[in-house]
Amino acid sequence: MLQILIQGFLLSGLYALIAMGFTLIFSVGRVLDLAYGAYLLIGGYTYFHFSQTLGFPAAAGLALAAVVGCAMGLAKFRLIVKPLGGGHVAVEISTLILAVVLQAGVVLVFGDSSKILLPIVPGVERLEGATVPYSNLLAAVASWIILLGLYCFVRFTHTGRAMQAVSMDARGAVISGIDSDRINAITWMISGALGALGGVFFASYTQLYPGMWVAPLIISVAVVIVGGIGSIIGTLVVAHIVGFMEITVSALIAPELRGVVTMLLIIGVLVLRPRGLFGREEI
Amino acid sequence: MRLRWHHLALWAALVLGMLLLPYLVGNGTLRTMIFANYLAIFAISWDVLSGRTGYVSFGHPFLIGIGAYTTAILTKRFDVPVEISIPLAVVATMVGGLIVLLPALRIKGSYFALVTLAFMELMYQLVQVIRPDLTGGTRGMSGLPTLTRGAVNGFYLSTALMLAIAISMWLLMRTRLGIALAAIGMNEESVRGSGLSVTRLKTFAFITSAFIAGLGGAFYIHYLGSIAPRALFDINFLFTIIVAALIGGAGTVVGPLIGAFFLTFLLEFLRPYLPGAERYFVYGGMALLIYMYQPKGIIALFEAGLGRLGRSR
Repeated sequence: MLQILIQGFLLSGLYALIAMGFTLIFSVGRVLDLAYGAYLLIGGYTYFHFSQTLGFPAAAGLALAAVVGCAMGLAKFRLIVKPLGGGHVAVEISTLILAVVLQAGVVLVFGDSSKILLPIVPGVERLEGATVPYSNLLAAVASWIILLGLYCFVRFTHTGRAMQAVSMDARGAVISGIDSDRINAITWMISGALGALGGVFFASYTQLYPGMWVAPLIISVAVVIVGGIGSIIGTLVVAHIVGFMEITVSALIAPELRGVVTMLLIIGVLVLRPRGLFGREEI
Repeated sequence: MRLRWHHLALWAALVLGMLLLPYLVGNGTLRTMIFANYLAIFAISWDVLSGRTGYVSFGHPFLIGIGAYTTAILTKRFDVPVEISIPLAVVATMVGGLIVLLPALRIKGSYFALVTLAFMELMYQLVQVIRPDLTGGTRGMSGLPTLTRGAVNGFYLSTALMLAIAISMWLLMRTRLGIALAAIGMNEESVRGSGLSVTRLKTFAFITSAFIAGLGGAFYIHYLGSIAPRALFDINFLFTIIVAALIGGAGTVVGPLIGAFFLTFLLEFLRPYLPGAERYFVYGGMALLIYMYQPKGIIALFEAGLGRLGRSR
């Protein structure tokens, strides 16, 4: 029981971090970024290359992963999303193609086989029969800190409030003198950094392989759909619902079924309550 | 329905060309052609649903997989002859099409695309867990009965199937029904306003698409002789189908056909230089460039070229 609680909280924190970048894009840019999983892929491999192959300290590896994710986000916005001019289907399809291209790029550079990421912080903590690797603890704590920072950024800074305005009503925001292009670019950069950091932690949970972008993408989709578009609180709550459901199902019923429940949740909510459990709120 | 003689002549030339092909090229090329034929079938099936009505499906492997798995299980585990199992598989796929239709009655756009993606993932996970004694679990099944022997026969079978589907869809899309389907993609509300039953039209599109997907999936699996969940319910497979339809030109019948052949041969052409999954880097990059440059696909580039020739004359 304690094991489930601890595991659930650790996993949910990570899921919240991963889903947050996806939600930001969906609420500010109003498009689905199907290449979102590629940030996790590239972030994980960047960290692997710098801190494990070249021997940089772990913190530098994390920072570099975030920078690369940031740059990818900006490039994606400038080169793909903006030229397509807001066509939803066009953006979805071109980002899907981009994700496959990036996956193949990773295969080209790093090879097809999976890599094992050394723990970011070595060691485990034993707690009444539950073993908690420090790495996973770090991932959860870091997720919470980053999410808290993001919440404050969106709430209290000028840029963050401009993001809220664009997500509520893009045209109205432009009329009030907000440069919506700049806000969009910033949002894509934040989303990329969040995704890349999430990727490092996610890879330390599982392992690093070229196809690893699909599962987190599906989880983000689930969280966004079930939570409703673009509320930070909704995303947090639903990330915990999904995380706890997966842990409970894999502990009590069968580990293979953990993904099935998530899929059923997506389909059920979309068919019964298309606006999500929490409806539409500002970010 | 307006038929022009030069359309018929072009189709006749295509049929004749395909029939003569085994005399002109080697068996290796024929095997590539077989894959191109099946990809063309899947792309046409995707296009009937998504290219026309605008309901973008990211779960087409879900439908193809139902057809493929139904016939595979029936023939392998219950010794049902292929003549019975393939029609049953097609019926099962059409039922699957109705399942995908349910969310489409309430949601559209990005949400519909996501729910179909969830269907595909759900199917992928269920196939491995539920009754692995029937489905073969993660490893799938092999040693399924094949319909033909040798490249030439396989080529003729797949070509006949592909051309039959392509020509009947081409004819269907020129009827008032086909025009109404395309109108849904442009503006669903005004189709409803014109007094047509949108629900009935959508049901028709989903069932037709599922029919083609089931037929293609069942024949494809009996050509391969094996089935595995990761090869079917895979984002890369989905990607190949969608890209074939889009690169060729969505909303047409010839477009997906051109796209499928272009992409299959591009992939085959790259094989000597990049043997593994790296091929998708070049392949996807080209697809992305063509899509960004001309979202209507190769067929639109071709028509623009023809138009320029016509003007300069």
